[in-house]
Amino acid sequence: MNIAIIGCGMMGELHATCAVEAGFRVAVCASQPADAAETLAKKFDAEAVAEPMAALQRDDIDAVCIASPTPTHADYVVAAAEAGKHIFCEKPLGRTIEQCDRAIAAAEQHGVKLYVGHVVRYFHEFEAIRAQIDAGKIGKVGFVKTYRGGISPMGAGGWFRDAKQSGGATLDLLIHDLDWLRYAFGDPDRVFSQNLAGKTSLLIDYVLATMRFSSGVIAQSVGTWAHPAGFRVKAEVCGSGGMIQYDSQDAPISAMPRETESGPSMIVPASPVNESPYTREWRDFAKWLNGESEPRVTPDDARWAVRMALAAIDSAESGQPVTLS
Amino acid sequence: MTRVGIMSFAHMHAFAYADCLRGLPDAELTAIWDDEADRGRDSAKQFEVDFIEDQAGFLATGLDAVIITSENVKHRTMVENAANAGLWILCEKPIATTIDDAKAMIAACDAAAVGLGTAFPCRYIPSMMDVKKRIDAGELGDIYACSCTNNGQFPGGWFADPALAGGGATMDHTVHVADALRWLLGQEFTSVYCENGNLLREGIETDDVGSLHLEMSGGTMVSHVASWNRPASFPTWGDVTMEIIGEKGVLAVDAFNQKLDVYSDEAVKAEWAYWGDDCNLGLVADFVDAVANKRPPTVSALDGLRALEVTTAAYESARLHQSVSIDLS
Repeated sequence: MNIAIIGCGMMGELHATCAVEAGFRVAVCASQPADAAETLAKKFDAEAVAEPMAALQRDDIDAVCIASPTPTHADYVVAAAEAGKHIFCEKPLGRTIEQCDRAIAAAEQHGVKLYVGHVVRYFHEFEAIRAQIDAGKIGKVGFVKTYRGGISPMGAGGWFRDAKQSGGATLDLLIHDLDWLRYAFGDPDRVFSQNLAGKTSLLIDYVLATMRFSSGVIAQSVGTWAHPAGFRVKAEVCGSGGMIQYDSQDAPISAMPRETESGPSMIVPASPVNESPYTREWRDFAKWLNGESEPRVTPDDARWAVRMALAAIDSAESGQPVTLS
Repeated sequence: MTRVGIMSFAHMHAFAYADCLRGLPDAELTAIWDDEADRGRDSAKQFEVDFIEDQAGFLATGLDAVIITSENVKHRTMVENAANAGLWILCEKPIATTIDDAKAMIAACDAAAVGLGTAFPCRYIPSMMDVKKRIDAGELGDIYACSCTNNGQFPGGWFADPALAGGGATMDHTVHVADALRWLLGQEFTSVYCENGNLLREGIETDDVGSLHLEMSGGTMVSHVASWNRPASFPTWGDVTMEIIGEKGVLAVDAFNQKLDVYSDEAVKAEWAYWGDDCNLGLVADFVDAVANKRPPTVSALDGLRALEVTTAAYESARLHQSVSIDLS
């Protein structure tokens, strides 16, 4: 099956690599400006084009992978749906709920499959946490703490650091945990949050959020784009009969990069697995396209995740909790 | 020699303070009073001092000061009685369960011209003192945010009885960090949002976990986990942690992370053996010095009241599902 990669930054390259591992062929790479597309196309022996809208309408394309900046997702999803292509969209599905609704409606209307990359659902360690809970190791879950982040990413033109475009660390980073928490513990009733986006003289963000779930479970999530370097994920699940802790720093490989001329590099502690979680989600997408099974993430899940993140941003603005259900 | 008595061994910190008194050259634990006579007799035997069953008699044994480590709701009466006897007082945290009680205690000690301190030993943890020095020296620049925890194992007993404790984990495990942040940052708390509940330990009436969000007068935003979420199988009692986000960098503090991992077949579970300095010793040494020099203890009763105001507002927030402003009384 042939795919077009729309957006050829870090995520575009990662998805291209994992899609190929899952049996797809990268036929076209498109980005604006086109130089990133040319670099990526060369690597995958694909064609580079400067116009994403043209790329996703080509006859030799079966599905598109949208890995462009967040505010462009919905337009590309709609265009791909209209062209009859199946869609793998990087999270978040949209910058606004209106964008999410437009994207979901277009996919439904044109009968194409829309998958959104909430990849944490495929991470081995997060699946292992769920397995321990399901095995009854810690009794009834009452409290969860998550932590994710490190250095603030740039993106082309620094769009990640512009909260108007990216939604800051809440919509781009914390959304991973918001989605996973809902996946593991059900729908949230309300969310309260604080953040630093645009509130300091630095281009950093730091998000502190608490969710109350309908089940009664309380979750506190910390998301950081405020660190000078590095990336770390932690999770703690507390139950009536025990507790589970995960820390990405407890990894089989740790790396210490030397400072480069362009500053410290972002190195994630390496915890190699035979099949990356990104490849797993591409395999899930492939099975869906082949009619074998449903994927782990539905469009409604993706909309929920955006809703939770936007509610957190609204709460930080108003200083009061936002009710979700 | 400063003569100190201990009122009640209901709180387990009494044992640590008694050990500190024995370790200080210019202080002496001379008597113990307890409203549970058996418990008082046992502790008196352990520390080889007199147990005096009658409170008035105990207060009249020539003491210079008392340390009060009773159930939280009993602090007020004991403080008032000790103040009337002209004694300096170190009171276990939280200073009281209501703001009215805390104010009455402060008034009683002011009227009797005796010092009243709150037991916030976190200020005497070497790592915390180091953090204070770094912040004061401007190493972090402006402090934008702080994410904290004070997790613990379930203490059981009266701690989970609202009539005696006045609250649960949110009360028990917010005040240390609230005080430490006021001290470290020189800011007051202005608002709090709290979600809490009885979600982990079955058969108790109080909350056992609280998730808090606070704003401070200098603009620093804070999150905090106050909990009894550590299971009995956890290798230690709990933690005090902070991640401080500053203009010039990030400081991560795990205040008691000076430990050995010990694997003993006798214990079955893994254990952490703490080898760092005892922060209680700094607290008690300051108190003994305050008594000797007739000065207020460094960590004051007002500090205790300010921390209590945070927890009181947190419980109101949890009830209302709204952020609540904290008014300094």
